Amino acid sequence: MMIKKNGSIRLITLLLIVTVSFQKKEIKKRDSFATVKIVFNNTVKNSRIYLYDSTYTNPFGEKYTITKFRYYVSDIFLKSTIKNAAEKNSYHLIDQGNVESQSFSFPVAPGDYTSLNFLLGVDSLHNVSGAQTGALDPTKDMFWTWNSGYVMAKLEGNSPSSTLVNNKFEFHIGGYAGEYNVLKNIQLSFPEDKPIYFASNKTITIIINADVNAWWHNPNEIKIAEHANITSPGKLALAISDNYKNMFHIEKIITGN
Amino acid sequence: MKTRISIWIVFMVAFSAFLLSAVTKEVYNYSSTTPLKLEVPKGWPKPLNIFAGNPLTEEGFQLGRKLFYDGRLSKDGNFSCASCHQQFAAFATYDHDFSHGFNDQFTTRNAPGLFNLAWTRLYHWDGGINHIEVQPLSPLTAPNEMAENVDSVLQRLRADAEYRRMFREAFGKGDINSQKMLKALAQFTGTLVSANSKYDKVKRGEDQFNPSELHGYEVFKEKCEHCHKEPLFTDNSFRNNGLPLNTYLKDYGRMRITGNPEDSLKFRVPSLRNVSVTQPYMHDGRFYSLGQVIEHYRTGIQQGPTLDSSLRKGIQFTKLEKYDLILFLGTLKDTSFLNDKRFSHP
Ligand code: HEC
Ligand code: HEC
Repeated sequence: MMIKKNGSIRLITLLLIVTVSFQKKEIKKRDSFATVKIVFNNTVKNSRIYLYDSTYTNPFGEKYTITKFRYYVSDIFLKSTIKNAAEKNSYHLIDQGNVESQSFSFPVAPGDYTSLNFLLGVDSLHNVSGAQTGALDPTKDMFWTWNSGYVMAKLEGNSPSSTLVNNKFEFHIGGYAGEYNVLKNIQLSFPEDKPIYFASNKTITIIINADVNAWWHNPNEIKIAEHANITSPGKLALAISDNYKNMFHIEKIITGN
Repeated sequence: MKTRISIWIVFMVAFSAFLLSAVTKEVYNYSSTTPLKLEVPKGWPKPLNIFAGNPLTEEGFQLGRKLFYDGRLSKDGNFSCASCHQQFAAFATYDHDFSHGFNDQFTTRNAPGLFNLAWTRLYHWDGGINHIEVQPLSPLTAPNEMAENVDSVLQRLRADAEYRRMFREAFGKGDINSQKMLKALAQFTGTLVSANSKYDKVKRGEDQFNPSELHGYEVFKEKCEHCHKEPLFTDNSFRNNGLPLNTYLKDYGRMRITGNPEDSLKFRVPSLRNVSVTQPYMHDGRFYSLGQVIEHYRTGIQQGPTLDSSLRKGIQFTKLEKYDLILFLGTLKDTSFLNDKRFSHP
């Protein structure tokens, strides 16, 4: 150790200064931050979703209506060649039945960014850490009570092709560990792979389209007539998650104000 | 000199970390709570860290206890946790194969005793519950109406001045939410420790087995110990102990959770502590006496691909071994736990 006798006093002072200046910097930085606003626009092949009210057709010609459509988006960050910008405490439940849930904002340092990244689902740690709050509150109807863990994405509706009672179909897709882990890292590159500059004090809006019709195919064919009820972790849930990871694309980025 | 300086450095780093965390994080007002400690009996393995993020306090425990005994947690006000988990039966349902409840899902299995849960890695007969805090969601909700159910329970709690006071004392200011309710319940159920049976007293040198009990203990160590492992009397593994499938319930146990055919008909090895008061036995409560249980191991083992290899030939018993074994199992009854006022109806 190279510290002299009165080094400890100097150390105290130093650490205090570091502590205080750290906070100051944090406050100062925020003023000049850019704001990114993320909007999830859920559709079926570009048609707007009206819960209960509209009939859609999947790639196999099966007609269906949607009564519930929800998914978790977490660990959001913007990729940059210099320093990625992550949202803090980043957990969102996007719910087609709740407009407010479909957009949110957070501050990022000004700079060039090249893609938007997130985890589709809830990281495994938060599946095994007991009772959570906020978007992860287990009473939000997205937590299995008989087989602990989050439903990462949920799609429910009716279809004449379904053999279930009332022609229902229900997909509750989850599983956070092992071979049936359905967590998906999503990377959405900005149009033409070009970096976009996020200027300080500006709001940049990224509109993401999610197409429900991605759930049924590519790479795995899921016909309602054959599988109307997938509500526990396993092979079929994994197959659907390999489909729905392709449901997103960036519709538009508005760099306006 | 060197050591003094390094002590200072350690202190300062800790101090500044504390400063940082105090200013950057929301600090709960726990200052007025009375800390509690989980009692860890001598010679037991280390408990799991089930209270991580849920510091045990007297206030949290008392709130959990009140919730546990409160019928208002159920839809129609009739079914408290304690209606299925009765203290005199070591918090199992006494003398019922299936507990009565409003919820079909929960009449399909036998309610186990509740104790030493801080040494249990996965809860329920099939291990489907991965944390003690989320366990109550299961009895509190039916599969498809969960949000409504817990929300209305929370509304009832918020409307009650006594609960508002107790939640504030336990968790500080702020709304009553599901997390606080679940953490409080975990503080109660997680601290139910049973470790004062005659068996424990003998182990501590405070008592002695009589010759029959001692013989029964020898039999136990030879025939049962490798699954019902001391001192918890379970090794917390999932095994098929040769019970034929209940054709009415079609309960395949662990396989329901893992989807793996190798887990078919495997259930969590239950603790045998307090076993003389937790009848009926097994996941579906099919046996009403310990005599029947032993007869199962002697003559009733059903062969099958997932049957535990140690049970392929069944377990041989003389009449004397059988009766002395039952006497030994009686020494696992913990009367002071069954009568502990701290755990009784508040
Ligand atoms: C209707 C009867 C009933 C009610 C009410 C009930 N339980 Fe249970 N409890 C059971 C049954 C049955 C099981 C076993 C479930 C299984 O294995 O699938 C169980 C299991 C448990 C376990 C897991 C024990 C272990 O060793 O794995 C805990 C903890 C528990 N209950 C706590 C509670 C709490 C807390 C409440 C109140 C919020 C409650 N129970 C209400 C019947 C009930
Ligand atoms: C191969 C492991 C294994 C062995 C050996 C074993 N058991 Fe078990 N025991 C189990 C399992 C697993 C269960 C739960 C089965 C179920 O409910 O489906 C169980 C359940 C029980 C129960 C019911 C407890 C309750 O609360 O419902 C009793 C009593 C019991 N065993 C006693 C014994 C005795 C006595 C012996 C020795 C003669 C013994 N067991 C040997 C695995 C074993």
